Amino acid sequence: MRIRLNPIIKKDLQVTARSMRLSWGLFAYEVILTLAFLLALAIIQAENNSYYSSNNIYSYLIYLFPVQAAVQAFIVALIVPIITAPSISGEKERQTFDIMLTTCMSPFSIVLGKVISAVIRILFFVAAGMPIMALAFVIGGLEWSSMFYFILTVILLSVFSGSIGICCSAFCRRSIAAVVLSFVIYFVIYILTFVPLILSFLWSKGESAGESMLFLLINPGVFFEEFFMQIMTGESFFGVAGSNFNRKEVGFFTYHLSQGKTWMFLSAACIFLLALLFMLIAAWKVNPMHSSAKKISRKKSTQNKMQIQNNPK
Amino acid sequence: MLYINDLSKRYGSFTAVNHLSLHIPEGDLFGFVGPNGAGKTTTIRIVCGLLKASSGSVQIGGIEAAVGTKEMKRLIGYVPDFFGVYDNLKVREYMDFYGSMYGMRSRDIAKLSDDLLELVNLSDKKEFYVDTLSRGMKQRLCVARALLHNPKLLILDEPSSGLDPRARVEMKELLKNLHSMGKTIVISSHILSELSEMCTSIGIMNQGQLIMAGRIEDIMRQASGGKRIHIQIASGIETAVRLLQEQAGVIVESVRENEIVITNNNTDEQMSAFIGLLIQNQVVLTGFYREEGNLEALFMQLTGGGLQ
Repeated sequence: MRIRLNPIIKKDLQVTARSMRLSWGLFAYEVILTLAFLLALAIIQAENNSYYSSNNIYSYLIYLFPVQAAVQAFIVALIVPIITAPSISGEKERQTFDIMLTTCMSPFSIVLGKVISAVIRILFFVAAGMPIMALAFVIGGLEWSSMFYFILTVILLSVFSGSIGICCSAFCRRSIAAVVLSFVIYFVIYILTFVPLILSFLWSKGESAGESMLFLLINPGVFFEEFFMQIMTGESFFGVAGSNFNRKEVGFFTYHLSQGKTWMFLSAACIFLLALLFMLIAAWKVNPMHSSAKKISRKKSTQNKMQIQNNPK
Repeated sequence: MLYINDLSKRYGSFTAVNHLSLHIPEGDLFGFVGPNGAGKTTTIRIVCGLLKASSGSVQIGGIEAAVGTKEMKRLIGYVPDFFGVYDNLKVREYMDFYGSMYGMRSRDIAKLSDDLLELVNLSDKKEFYVDTLSRGMKQRLCVARALLHNPKLLILDEPSSGLDPRARVEMKELLKNLHSMGKTIVISSHILSELSEMCTSIGIMNQGQLIMAGRIEDIMRQASGGKRIHIQIASGIETAVRLLQEQAGVIVESVRENEIVITNNNTDEQMSAFIGLLIQNQVVLTGFYREEGNLEALFMQLTGGGLQ
């Protein structure tokens, strides 16, 4: 059996690698990470006097790692929709998408190729940020697995925000509209998942959140917080059930799912499934055999009609 | 090769394609003619699997187009009316990209690309970036790309639009070459003279309907000029006019100093008998010829002057 690289990944990477945008993007990324590192270092130093004072606590320097990781995750969350949202609408604008659809690639393979190429591009950025992140390792206290889990988290977040971007790209004809829409959906997911929790809290006058926290399983921000708290302290908001929650405060499922690291893994699975759903919707939307494709042709027919009216001969 | 059966495409109350039925045999070079909005592009998009038909069916090489299987896609090479390019992609990489989208191996793509780029006269541009090529070159590259997976049916949607005269001639020669190699080609165009020169059969569309289709010779014969014959005479023009006016199915249109123009509704055999009759009656003929059919005139007549 022959294993084949998705041609879209190869083409996208080839095109990106030759673009000056990638170089400038990496430069900006490095600058932001360096500034974040220096700022975090300055804050830690200020809180613990200086390195040369007797009461300096080096162990606090380990927090440079989560600060760096959080900054990187935030940048990834911003960059990925910018990369993926114009990917299909850009092909439509360039009028290369029709040719793609006449090839043997299925709509899902096209969508998947676009998302994976975006994730690989994000990994370029993460790799470029490694030397700065490695400074936290010099101090000690971190395991290699921390970095490994961090990369896995970045991949998951990239796939998630990439799938939102690609889905919006499939629905929008203009790249800029796709970018804006994907940011709106991204932040709606962040904010809306907290709404049931707030409502149930208000409803029960602060006594019980019920099962409303289950919506937070698909919140990438909460997942990231859970993940890093688990890595850094072995405990997290949802990972210390029994001490943070009791059976009266939360519902049955929330209580049992917040045992140990269950919440973290379940959240990762939910986010991945949601990303898959977004990709399937995008593939369904771009499939020409799907009836909504008529929108494009209707527009073309209207343009033709207008041309006839304007130029009768 | 291509069977279109009772195909319709409706957008609400607007009918883009109206009960179109057509058969294009293998090895044919078929020209789709029609004014803007006639439904040519819609038909082509349905055939290529880029649009779902409201009713009817399309079969390519015995495979239903609506299913959109890989087997069906392998049979088609599609060249759209507009050539979109990727920045920072070389001609060789462009071919490699599309070849791999058909599941071809890299070494097969490389070999075929070389042959095809030579065929379209772009072998010296292999290492050039696609966006630096002229429009004519891009269009030829697009044809090479469409041929990469060796499709049986090549579909071109207005390939000459926006090309300069030289690029048009090159494109026409390329299509003639491909036809001589046995490819079945469907081409839509507004440039009627071009189609009449290279197509073996044509279909004229207007307002979503196929109003005429057939072999180019038959279509040309049906064109008004096809029945008009010029007879050049050195002496005995009055006798010739009288004799021709006596023949059923012959209308004398004009008489000049030494030329009579007639419209003939008879068969070629009957017409040769008339010529023989003129000679027997001492009319000295210096020549006669059938006026070439004019596709543009026929098109204007059929579409009510809708050509742009």
